[in-house]
Parts: sequence; structure tokens; C-alpha cells
Amino acid sequence: MRDLIKKYFKLLIISLFVISVLIFWAASGANPTNIQPIAYNHKLHIESVELICSDCHIYVESMPSATIPNISICEECHSDDPITDSPEELKLIKYIVEEEQIPWQQIYSVPDHVYFSHRRHVSIGELDCSECHGHVEEMTEPISYPAWLPSMDNCIACHNELKITKDCLSCHM
Amino acid sequence: MPKWAMVIDLDKCTGCGDCMAACKLENNIAIVSPEEANVGRVMFWMDMITTYEGEYPNIKVKRIPKPCFHCDNPPCTRVCPVYATYKNDEGLVGQIYHRCIGCRYCMVACPYTAKVFNWYEPKWPDEFKSCLNPDVSLRMVGVVEKCSFCAHRLIKVKENADMEEREIYDGEYSPACGESCPTNAIYFGDIDNKESQVYKLSQSSRSYREMENLGTEPKVIYLSKRE
Repeated sequence: MRDLIKKYFKLLIISLFVISVLIFWAASGANPTNIQPIAYNHKLHIESVELICSDCHIYVESMPSATIPNISICEECHSDDPITDSPEELKLIKYIVEEEQIPWQQIYSVPDHVYFSHRRHVSIGELDCSECHGHVEEMTEPISYPAWLPSMDNCIACHNELKITKDCLSCHM
Repeated sequence: MPKWAMVIDLDKCTGCGDCMAACKLENNIAIVSPEEANVGRVMFWMDMITTYEGEYPNIKVKRIPKPCFHCDNPPCTRVCPVYATYKNDEGLVGQIYHRCIGCRYCMVACPYTAKVFNWYEPKWPDEFKSCLNPDVSLRMVGVVEKCSFCAHRLIKVKENADMEEREIYDGEYSPACGESCPTNAIYFGDIDNKESQVYKLSQSSRSYREMENLGTEPKVIYLSKRE
């Protein structure tokens, strides 16, 4: 009888372990690839076309929000005729032809009670985009998680290091 | 470092209540039902104190707009157990809603009753939802809130000034109440700057501060010829 319990106990432990691994695998996003509607290639646009960030994120230097470019910006270069033989470009052309906005997913965001300004950090603070957004020039496809988490801990760490104000009212309202 | 202060000229004020409405819209302040308002749960950051003197038909009405006084020696910040309300270097008394635990000590400590409490989850009529100001966060149930001197406007003004590499000029930063006042009775500016209009008005013989004997040193200064 005791052996039987021991045997089943082991089996129970093993099955619990297997189930927890399965749950963890499912919860952690087993397929964390592209969440964006188009697998935009930053590297290609930066290296071959020699675009800079503010060419597409047009308000990054002058407004609090940098803005995510949509078809009105894309169609300045892309038209009905594909430039490359990439299937991703065909997806873009479809959006342009149908005059439909690309449903980009925003990855970097701060909560409602936090004020973040791109122009404060980029134009006045003269920070490089890569400080928060990582090495975008090496990204061949969109990332599905932030390269740097915009959490209060991370903000304060940088504000401490650069001796920038930590007054609550400068970010929270 | 500037020290922001407000001057309200009661001789100019007609008591129309435009400042209250502008404040309510600017800061996404919740609308409270009339029944709740009657039991003292009305929410105004810019309130209007109305007093009547004399007997009918010779009644004298006094209407006094009352925002948070952003005291230089604020009693509210001393009692806050979680540092949710504090005075910053520019003299603004801030209220950080996500830090607030809703104990309401600060409301009790404030001699001017400038603070209000969210008794319910704020709700707006559907027509209002598209009119909410995106620069001001929505508060949740169970936190204390109060006039911020429109600190969100200060951030924008500072950014504009820094972009153009200049100082903030007198009158550039004004809260919504001051901007909306039809008789220009509300002045706003840096009281440490001797050139500013606010400083000059604060030196007027008509100027007084509310409950000065308490030593709270309020930064809202009233001007009035009347007693």
C-alpha cells in the first residue's frame, strides 16, 4: 500500500510539473513573433534608403507624441508599383490602394496619469532615440515588446544619473 | 526659481462663475448628482463662496472665487502619511492621485476646505466623454483632489520656452480660470519677479490674504476695497 502511494505521489508531482510548464509556455506567448500587421524592416529603410527617425516619426522633435507613421507618410515613397519583391510591401500597397489606415500596435506607452514628451527628451534633452528604443537600425522585423520598459523605476534611474528634476508634478498630473 | 501666485480682484469680479465652469472642464472634474451635492459632496476645484449681508431689500451679496491657495506653509502636506501631497520648488502644492490612499487627513488639515474627495467612480455623460482634456488624468474613486494651478499648462509653457531658449514671460502661464475670466479679475504670475503684474498688485493697499493669522502664507491674494 505504501509503495502504491509513493508511486502515485511521484506521478502526481511529475504531472503537476508538466502542467505548470505547459501553462508557463502558453502564458509567456509561445509565438512571440510579429504582432504588427506588416513586418516593417527598420534596418532596410535606415541603411538602404538612408531615412532617419524623424523622416517618418515626423513630430518626434516638435510635439509630445512622436506619432506612428501611417499610409499618408508611406505613400510619399510607395505607390501602386512595388519597389521590392517583398510580400510585406504588397500588404502595404493594399492598405494604400484601399485608403485604409494600417492598424499598428503601440508597444511603448505610459499610463494616463503620466506625461511623457518626446520633444522634451529629444529636442531639449538631446537624447538619442536608441537610449530608450534600442538599436532600431539593426531590427529587420518589428519587435513585440519594448527594448526598454518605460516604468517609473527606469525613468527615475535615468533622471538620477543625469541630475534631471524628480519633481512629481513634472510628470504626473 | 519662480514662485507662482494668483491675484483675484474682487472689485472687478462679477461673480459670474465662469472660472468655476472653465476649471471644471479643463481638469475633468467629476459631475456629482444634485442629491450628493446637497450632502456636501460637490466637486469644485475653483469654488465660489457666497455670503449675504443685511436684510431684504437691502442685501449685499459677496461672491468670492476660491481655488486652492497653494500655501507657502501648507498644513495639508504635513499630515499626508504617503507623501501624496507636497510643495514643490516653485511653490505649487501638488496632489499625486496614484499615491493618495484616501485617508482625507489633508482635507481636515486644510483651513480653506480647498480639497475634495471622490466618493464615487467619476462618471460623465456620453456627450462629455469626447470633451475630456487629455492633458489631465482622470481620478478614481477614493482619492483626494484639488486645484493644481493648472500645472499641466506649466509643463507645456516650460517646454515651449525651452524649445525657443528663453525665459517664461509674464502672463504666459495662466490657469484656465484666469484665461476664461470675462472681466480679467484673475491675474497669475511669478510673485518673486518684481516686474510681474502679480507682484505689483500684491503690494496694493487693497490686497489681503485669507485667514492670514494662521500663518499658512497663501499664494492667492485678494484685492478688495470692501471690508
